[in-house]
Amino acid sequence: MAGATNRGIVFECRGVHHAFGPNMVLHDVNFRIVRGEIVALVGPSGCGKSTLLRAIVGTHPPGRGRILVGRRGAAEMAEVAEPGRDRGIVYQRYSLFPFLTAQQNVALGPMLDQTSLAFRAFRFPSWRRLRRRHMEEAAELLARVGLGKALKLYPHEMSGGMCQRVAIAQALIMKPEILLLDEPFGALDEATREELQRMLLTLYAENCRAAGRGEEPPLTVLIVTHEINEAIFVGDRVLGLSQYWDWRGAGHAACPGATIVYDKAVPVCAPDADRNFDLFRDRRREILDVVFSPEVLPDREKHCLFWRQLENGEGQGVLQPWATAATTSGAGRDGSSTPGRPGPSS
Amino acid sequence: MIRQPASMRAKVVLGAMAVVLMLAGYTVLSERQHRLNPDDTTIPTWSLLGRGVSRIVEVGRVVPGSEESRSWLARQKTRWLVADASATGYRLFLGLLLGVAGAVVLGLLMGCFEKVEAFFAPPLSLLAKVPPTAILAVFFVLTQTYTQMCVAMVAFGILPTMAQAIYLGVKEVPRELIYKAYTLGASHAEVVWNVILRQVLPKIIDGVRLQIGPAMVFLIAAEWLGGEVGFGCRIRLESRLAHMHTVYPYLALLAGFGFGMDAALRRLQRWLCPWCAGGC
Repeated sequence: MAGATNRGIVFECRGVHHAFGPNMVLHDVNFRIVRGEIVALVGPSGCGKSTLLRAIVGTHPPGRGRILVGRRGAAEMAEVAEPGRDRGIVYQRYSLFPFLTAQQNVALGPMLDQTSLAFRAFRFPSWRRLRRRHMEEAAELLARVGLGKALKLYPHEMSGGMCQRVAIAQALIMKPEILLLDEPFGALDEATREELQRMLLTLYAENCRAAGRGEEPPLTVLIVTHEINEAIFVGDRVLGLSQYWDWRGAGHAACPGATIVYDKAVPVCAPDADRNFDLFRDRRREILDVVFSPEVLPDREKHCLFWRQLENGEGQGVLQPWATAATTSGAGRDGSSTPGRPGPSS
Repeated sequence: MIRQPASMRAKVVLGAMAVVLMLAGYTVLSERQHRLNPDDTTIPTWSLLGRGVSRIVEVGRVVPGSEESRSWLARQKTRWLVADASATGYRLFLGLLLGVAGAVVLGLLMGCFEKVEAFFAPPLSLLAKVPPTAILAVFFVLTQTYTQMCVAMVAFGILPTMAQAIYLGVKEVPRELIYKAYTLGASHAEVVWNVILRQVLPKIIDGVRLQIGPAMVFLIAAEWLGGEVGFGCRIRLESRLAHMHTVYPYLALLAGFGFGMDAALRRLQRWLCPWCAGGC
């Protein structure tokens, strides 16, 4: 199904509502993600982050609203309602197939994507050649995430951090339009967590270099986390999903569900940047108040300023071309927060 | 201390000791019984057991001019051991094959599709509670040959329990793995073949291992009903004559048969599921 034009926007949630029986979970969730961003989604426990993620993956389509993905080379965004290879996912648990080695886990995607059961059964010589290529690609990618020596290990023989690296490589080999990370580092120790955060920042740096060359950034990430410091450190933008918002002011008699109450760009960190969370103290305080505090019930639009920030030329990293384009064209400064302004000319 | 690990050497020594103790106990018991009654055949001595074994393995009576007298292969079939083992083995393997194949198909379908589950789960859980030996009479009437009855007994005896085990195993496959397979571009058939079946394969093999014992019980019970060859038939015929020196070797053969199959399946599991080496 056709959607909006795909000018640098890789993903959009448009008017997403979801309820489990009488229990309203998500209410009018709207956001767009620029290709190459690392967007961190935070929110209180039980606010519907996982429900939203499941809707995006396509396993549990939303009750109302649309999920749109902009595929490379396509002029328009396509609506998605079931899981597909354009959205990779890394879960906190069960991130790998336990019966496959690290290399086989990574090579599984190309196998499933490029061949069928019939091809593998009846065209065995061709399949073997292709399989060899997939295994080589998998080995290269594993080497890139620092696991060149763990190719033959099964998941139960690897540490949690190694498993998550393999899971990320498994998703990356598919070159998804958007990579979804569902609290991927939640079960890891602090050192491993930092290591993986820096790995994400390295991938983001590659995105920035591609954007600087005027190319399409290769990887877009939506990371769901309950750790605010991690969200600010890893992301270039933080989205806050919360049930604590001024729904009475919006004319509702009862809370209609969680919605996006916070959407702002955050400073971009370099892969080797000092991991000093004190620098984020004010931002952290703000997110805690707006997103997590049941006492503060903000107007849902008040802290959703991401697109206005871009129009005011505040974008960093992959967003810089957008910000530059907005300032040179004189857009913005009118107070509009309408999402989805035209992207940079590149 | 509870669950204190024992060394491999200690385990081997203790296991061997248990077997030696069992054999020594039998020796003492049979000698005592033999002293009381030299003609006793209920607990035969080792020498009498030796005669029983010879009887099992020796070539049977060959009529001059018959096929057995001309063909070496036909002559081998007159040995009780060969005739009984091939008849029982054929029935057991065919029954197991049909039962396991049916259970895998049914278990996978039930675990993957909730409508199939809703349709089959109630009758399956009812059938699993009926002792197959109790419905022997039904198979006796419904099947056309004696071999068919034995095979049906084994197949239907193991199918409900095993199908339930596989279906529960499929239900335990984490949803995340299935979703992930879809995001990697898998079709429904590929999710079943490349993810679910691979994940439950160790449980299927474990299920077959656990069902060997019951399958042999069902088969021996079916063979006990009639027929002329097969371990169950032979045990029935010989026990009527109180020829326990022939019956005991048959029981030992059955135990060895089951043990061998179990060992072979464990080896198969290690080969097919190397990821399960540390326990799945």
